[in-house]
Amino acid sequence: MFSRTQNIKLSPIKQIELLASKIPDVVSLAQGVPSFDTPEVIKKSAIKALSRGVVAKYSLTYGLPELRETIEQKLAEDGMYYDFEKEIIATAGSIEAITATLIAIIEPKKNEIILFSPSYTSYAEAVKVAGGKPIFVNLIEGGLALSQSKGWRIDFKSLERKINSKTAAILFCNPNNPTGTIFPKEDLLKIAELAENKKFFILSDEVYKDFIYDFAFPSDGTAGRAFFSLAQIPELRKRVIRIFSLSKAYAMTGWRIGFMHSDEENIKEILKVHDSLVTCAPVISQYAAIAALDFGDKEIEKFRRQYQERRDLICRHLDDLKDFFSYQKPNSSYFIFPKLLPKRDSWQFALDLLEKAHVAVVPGIAFGPSGESHIRMSFGRSEKDINEAMRRIKKFFKYD
Amino acid sequence: MINFFKRVVQFKLKWFAKIYLWRTKPKVIVIAGTIGRHWIKEAVKEVLEDKNFLVRTNKKNFNAEIGLPLSILDLSSGKKSFWQWLKILWLAFKKVAVFSKIKLSPNYLVLEMAINAPENMNYLTSIVKPDVVILTTITMIYAENFENLDEISREYGELAKVLSWNGILILNNDDLRIKELGKYFDGKVITFGFSDGSQYKAVSVSKIADGQKFKIEVKQKEKEILNVKINRFGQHHIYAELVRAIIKDNFSAEG
Repeated sequence: MFSRTQNIKLSPIKQIELLASKIPDVVSLAQGVPSFDTPEVIKKSAIKALSRGVVAKYSLTYGLPELRETIEQKLAEDGMYYDFEKEIIATAGSIEAITATLIAIIEPKKNEIILFSPSYTSYAEAVKVAGGKPIFVNLIEGGLALSQSKGWRIDFKSLERKINSKTAAILFCNPNNPTGTIFPKEDLLKIAELAENKKFFILSDEVYKDFIYDFAFPSDGTAGRAFFSLAQIPELRKRVIRIFSLSKAYAMTGWRIGFMHSDEENIKEILKVHDSLVTCAPVISQYAAIAALDFGDKEIEKFRRQYQERRDLICRHLDDLKDFFSYQKPNSSYFIFPKLLPKRDSWQFALDLLEKAHVAVVPGIAFGPSGESHIRMSFGRSEKDINEAMRRIKKFFKYD
Repeated sequence: MINFFKRVVQFKLKWFAKIYLWRTKPKVIVIAGTIGRHWIKEAVKEVLEDKNFLVRTNKKNFNAEIGLPLSILDLSSGKKSFWQWLKILWLAFKKVAVFSKIKLSPNYLVLEMAINAPENMNYLTSIVKPDVVILTTITMIYAENFENLDEISREYGELAKVLSWNGILILNNDDLRIKELGKYFDGKVITFGFSDGSQYKAVSVSKIADGQKFKIEVKQKEKEILNVKINRFGQHHIYAELVRAIIKDNFSAEG
């Protein structure tokens, strides 16, 4: 009984949130939920769709044509050309897109999915749900990443060693959760070369691509807001499956809406799984997504500026605690992944912090083996929460 | 109260737009259909600009009762702000007032039109009479307010009916309902599509790594064949290229 699910764990983020919910007056920097509400323009559009009586029925499995047309136009602005009729699916958030893709591509003899460590905690579980085996490749802390400071960089020697005939795909988050690293173009191209040679898929989850803080790109000498995605290279369209969610960018985590795109050849297979899992993405959220993509750009920029200020705020607090933490300044997303000094068990530390300081953080081990002795803190929370949490952590160390 | 104010704004914008059109007399190209309008609009705009015309298009969603006159007047939306709308009405008045000199008006207005209920098209055509109408395709997108696709089709038929005698009706020959709308217009009708009988017909379509390759057979010119390669995917981009070829052939350059 339950042989498949016995090895699957409830996400440690949710476990921590569950524990935290039982403690009065807790401040949580655990879950990656934006402190903002969904922008008015999006909510109003959803209300309008609700009043028009158009949200009670299923949409096409692919999603509403209006939404997919909007997505196609949006992608084209970023140099990605996909056919809204056959190459784009509206999904119930990014995790449904990822799980549907994994179920579609994992085969008995090709069942290994490469994940970076640290990377988003639910990836490994989604791989197991799909009957696959997660294979971790460490990111090297302190390697030069796409930021002015040192970040986390892919260990290509380790990556090449772990690719074999069973490799079905590599799945990564770019910018990375929990480290906030943007992988440089040359590294992504190296991954693409490996994928072409060894015939595996690239699943690129780009949920945080709108929250980039420092626009100096030392790797290619350019400056600006350009964010490189392998989905921009037409020759790779059969190899790359790109996933995006509106959860973070538009403060819509509860709406469960995202999308994926790839070559028609891949999408038609993934669509079968998507259909059997959810039939279609929530229709009211699809209408909200149209408004988000059409009118949400200014809101995103507002969020981005706020997150940048909060990042700087949390970094200043961590600087005060340099005997207890070292960190790589994140260049994107709204997470920071400080290392615990001295080295210690991250689960135990997170539990102690929760119990004694009433502050919830996620233990680094949740993000893969190399996440041990780190914690993830979200600066997606309000400044007030960040200040209070850090005040309590400072107090905790004083009395630890 | 809000509805009353909205109606006042809508009414005033309609008349300002009509006066603006009367004063500036641009050629109006309307693109309608439930999907596939955007890329056709872009193709039409590009080809006219290549011919040195000054072209204005409507932004996405500026294609119905309020958005359309705003597009014609080249004004933005007041969103939910009462004062902003008052300002917009003042700007609209200034644009069309007899004492004001209209600066650099477009030679062509390329406008998407959207409908979501019966009689919508009658209202939109009471604001603007097109010189060219391009109809893409009819799907069940806006079905909630229509009995069936045939009712949607009749709504688009209104555009064909109000076309000026020397106008052009450009129809997607692959959509049977769109094709049928030719019967409402006695002037020049040009068809495009993949199916036989299309005057601008896409043939030998192949998907390549970085886009699509195809040929356009132009029947009007004793089967002239054009080779096309685009970096986009999907049938709707081929339709856009067919319309691009039609506009190229049927509009002479400015100056």
